[in-house]
Amino acid sequence: MAAPSPSPHKPRRKAKRGGNGASVLNAHDQGIHSRTPSFPLAGFLWPARGVASEWELLPLILMAAGLFRWAAGLWGYSGFEKPPMFGDYEAQRHWMEITTQLPISQWYFHDLQWWGLDYPPLTAYHSWLCGKIGALINPTWFALYASRGSNDPILKIFMRATVLVSEYLIYVPAVVVFVRRFSRLSGVATWTSSVALVAILMQPATILIDHVHFQYNTVMLGFVTASMSSMLAGRYLWAAVFFVAALGFKQMALYYAFSVFAYLLGNCLFPRVNVSRLLGIAAVTAVSFALLVAPIVIGTLYDAARGIDSRPELDGPPPPLPIFQGITKYLDTDAIYYPIVEQLVQMVHRIFPFARGLFEDKVANFWCALNVAIKLKKYPSELLQRGALLATVASIIPPNLILFFRPRKLLLPLAFATTAWGFFLFSYQVHEKSVLLPLMPMTLLLAGNQGLTKNMRAWVGFANLLGCWTMFPLLQRVDLRVPYAVLTLLWAFLLGLPPTSLSAYFEEGSSLWSQWTTFFVHGFFYLAMGLWHVFEATLTPPPDKPDLWVVANVGVGAAGFSLCYLWCLWRLVVESEILPQKWVGKGTKPKTQ
Amino acid sequence: MAEIYPSLAQCAIVAAAFKILLFPAYKSTDFEVHRNWLAITHSLPLWDWYYEKTSEWTLDYPPFFAYFEWVMSQVAKLVDPAMLRVYNLEHDSWQTVYFQRSTVIITELLLVYALQMFVDSSHGASKRAAQAAAISILLSPGLLIIDHIHFQYNGCMYGLLIASMVLARNKSTMLMGGLLFAVLLCMKHIYLYLAPAYFVFLLRAYCLSPKSIFRIQFLNCLKLGGGIAAIFATAFGPFAIRGQIPQLMSRLFPFSRGLCHAYWAPNFWAMYSFVDRALIMLAPRVGLSVKAEALQSVTRGLVGDTSFAVLPDITPRMCFALTLVFQAIPLLKLFAQPTWDTFVGAVTLCGYASFLFGWHVHEKAILLVIIPFSLIALKDRRYLSAFRPLAVSGHVSLFPLLFTPAEFPIKTVYTIFWLVLFLMVFDHLAPASSTARFFLFDRFSTLYITVSIPLIVYCSLVHGVVFGKSYEFLPLMFTSSYSAIGVVGSWVGFLVVYFTS
Repeated sequence: MAAPSPSPHKPRRKAKRGGNGASVLNAHDQGIHSRTPSFPLAGFLWPARGVASEWELLPLILMAAGLFRWAAGLWGYSGFEKPPMFGDYEAQRHWMEITTQLPISQWYFHDLQWWGLDYPPLTAYHSWLCGKIGALINPTWFALYASRGSNDPILKIFMRATVLVSEYLIYVPAVVVFVRRFSRLSGVATWTSSVALVAILMQPATILIDHVHFQYNTVMLGFVTASMSSMLAGRYLWAAVFFVAALGFKQMALYYAFSVFAYLLGNCLFPRVNVSRLLGIAAVTAVSFALLVAPIVIGTLYDAARGIDSRPELDGPPPPLPIFQGITKYLDTDAIYYPIVEQLVQMVHRIFPFARGLFEDKVANFWCALNVAIKLKKYPSELLQRGALLATVASIIPPNLILFFRPRKLLLPLAFATTAWGFFLFSYQVHEKSVLLPLMPMTLLLAGNQGLTKNMRAWVGFANLLGCWTMFPLLQRVDLRVPYAVLTLLWAFLLGLPPTSLSAYFEEGSSLWSQWTTFFVHGFFYLAMGLWHVFEATLTPPPDKPDLWVVANVGVGAAGFSLCYLWCLWRLVVESEILPQKWVGKGTKPKTQ
Repeated sequence: MAEIYPSLAQCAIVAAAFKILLFPAYKSTDFEVHRNWLAITHSLPLWDWYYEKTSEWTLDYPPFFAYFEWVMSQVAKLVDPAMLRVYNLEHDSWQTVYFQRSTVIITELLLVYALQMFVDSSHGASKRAAQAAAISILLSPGLLIIDHIHFQYNGCMYGLLIASMVLARNKSTMLMGGLLFAVLLCMKHIYLYLAPAYFVFLLRAYCLSPKSIFRIQFLNCLKLGGGIAAIFATAFGPFAIRGQIPQLMSRLFPFSRGLCHAYWAPNFWAMYSFVDRALIMLAPRVGLSVKAEALQSVTRGLVGDTSFAVLPDITPRMCFALTLVFQAIPLLKLFAQPTWDTFVGAVTLCGYASFLFGWHVHEKAILLVIIPFSLIALKDRRYLSAFRPLAVSGHVSLFPLLFTPAEFPIKTVYTIFWLVLFLMVFDHLAPASSTARFFLFDRFSTLYITVSIPLIVYCSLVHGVVFGKSYEFLPLMFTSSYSAIGVVGSWVGFLVVYFTS
């Protein structure tokens, strides 16, 4: 193996050639020099060390990941044969129906009781494209009204294919590029980064939600990853464009917005103020947003000119705007711009449902867990909203301040993860599935420096397995226990995690005290999860507490996720070197390392 | 020697996870066949098993397989007793599906065990190659498609076959190998095709002295003969007592079927039929007579009885004779040189001969060739170059077994994944040959493998778009003719390698 070049400029190019050349410095803890692989996934790629080039390995990895996704998709989906409303699958199919069958100005207004469109415009355009392609195969799939609740098996295959293709066009390339750049920046060998890539692609939570339960989260997550990846490459304008695309696909990307903002702004101000970059980012962001809504705006104008009403069901004068009623006074409802205002206000109203409660179902976040102790319903919703806002802000300020003052590339996944955990735990209107957002950047840590060491695997794995576990009530409602069990256990097995192995907890050379603490804390949670599954399967809850198991799930989940938040924050503090070295101490990271 | 990674157990775990995910996948009538056999063996007395015909899928495997079904039915009654009623045709509750699918996965552990035996029996430099070959069999797309989607128990059967071959590798366990093969014959009689190789090998290496063929080792003969007799008595004895053997045999060997199976297995007869079809167009110009009744057969070789328009018809007797001739040729060498490698080669060639020239061969039977061949494909690069076209054509020929759109990505992507992975790995691992390779053959196989890509694209996508539902036989005919060229080509190549090494 070649020794690392002494010049600081050369290694990045050189690393391309050799399989092992890049990471001599920290190779000892990545398992590349060890005689045996330390977890099964490394065993699977073991023969490829130094032999196979990245380009031989990558197609195989992508094929294997695709096979597991497609096979998982053979199982049922959310709302399968569950009238009257069916589920997420029907929502997505219905959006393909309305976007292909109705004039663009009616998209956000059409029959809102039946899965009215409540995602940003990029989702609508994506639905339109999928709907157009699907209609070529079978037009009845998306016939207006007649197609509602369709359970055509061929339609299911088509819908599954749209998820897979969208993911392979956006999320997968983004992750592949991110892993390459991130591991190269961290000085990790190509082979090691391939192991990390498999681990990231096989992450059970995203497969379960997108390919089994049914949604298109990976498109949004892919745009966010692409945005982070552009940040790694120093392409700030592209980062802004991709992030606008993510927001335009799913408003949930707002979880990351503060980190994107903090990083981009920090990069414009430190180490020296760079006004042209700042202006460039601002301009590109504004233009991307404009492009994003342009089809809706132009379409609305065109429809208005043709005399097509956005709400044909209603007779009489146009109803008031749903929110911002105050501004109606100052607007002329007959003016040429009024349809646009109405359209955009309706869109915002649909996307941000301020009128709903603090939390929807039982979610493993702070509020839902607190609700077990104190019945939050008795407080006015104003107060609750304000409380949620304050708590969220308090939880996301520390990571974003760090990122702002230390806008370093290697801190990105940690900062994103911490911020998203903060949002997930404390914000308003959270859904179980939102746990995918903090999990994504946290899982990307596997590709970084020491990403596959035992400690890192233990924590990333803990977050992921806990995340899947909190989604179990959601999955079992539609009989998806088998794919849940298979995919989570498989991932745990591949990464050498409990319940399949305890090997991730004991490592020579780090302090015994910290090892045992991590072991006991995680062990407690894994034990709780295991016991919970046993109880849930065998005992019916007492009649006066029908939700007992779900509540227990929420409580354990919220506690575990809080730990994950704290761990990410702590790692961020340590790795940003923002505290004086002596504070962090020689016994570096009491609990975490 | 250090452990080689990934281990077979690790591969088996990941493969099992994938197979469990395939539970809801398409399942063929074979699923109902096996459900019916569970019901027959569980609810009827032994002596009715081979007479029962409520379902059209009567019991047509030998008795040990029926016993095997009976054992499984003891568990099945705890899962869903409804599946054990003979009149409960087409019963497929989710419990039944989960149960039957998981029995396939669990019984396949036998294959994992046998493959581990195979790896352990190899030593030195060849151990890595043995491990790679073992994993390639374990992850074989053939087994995945046939067992875990289409539904059958080949994993378990081939486990027995490999175990018996590995046992025959050692002088001390050779007897066990032979007896195990006898057990296998009493489970599934398709393995009779391989029996000549076992017979010659055991005769020469076990029953005759290694020094001279005229010195018979009587004790060994007694042990082997007695053992085999006892096994067959256990299997067939109960039925022989009641004089049911003729009925049993008529179930096991239904000679009334046609030459080619519903879909042409990629063998010699597929090429023969293809030439016949082509000659229909040429015959008037050359002055050959075309049989009118064959022309009118609407099925055109797709269903049942194939009759030929120009070329002479084929009888079962001719198939049988051809098979025997092409089996006998490699056996001569085995008799002269009874080493284990020659034995495996002879088993492979027996599989080839029966697949290529047999009567009413099913495309699934290609595993009879691929699996024994995999054990020696890494011996050196010449073996590998004969193996390559077989690996491609054998697996591509299985595609028509699955025709539902949901399974299409699985069968194609999995097969491509397997081919890319293992042809690459094998290429790294196979040692150079001591004798010269024939380069033309390599060119042929590269060209051949390349052609598979447009062929798959045409058969699965282009044809449907251009012709819709009409001319459905075209993609099938192309697939089977293409695969037949590959199988025949690899057979010829392997014959040369076999006789020159």
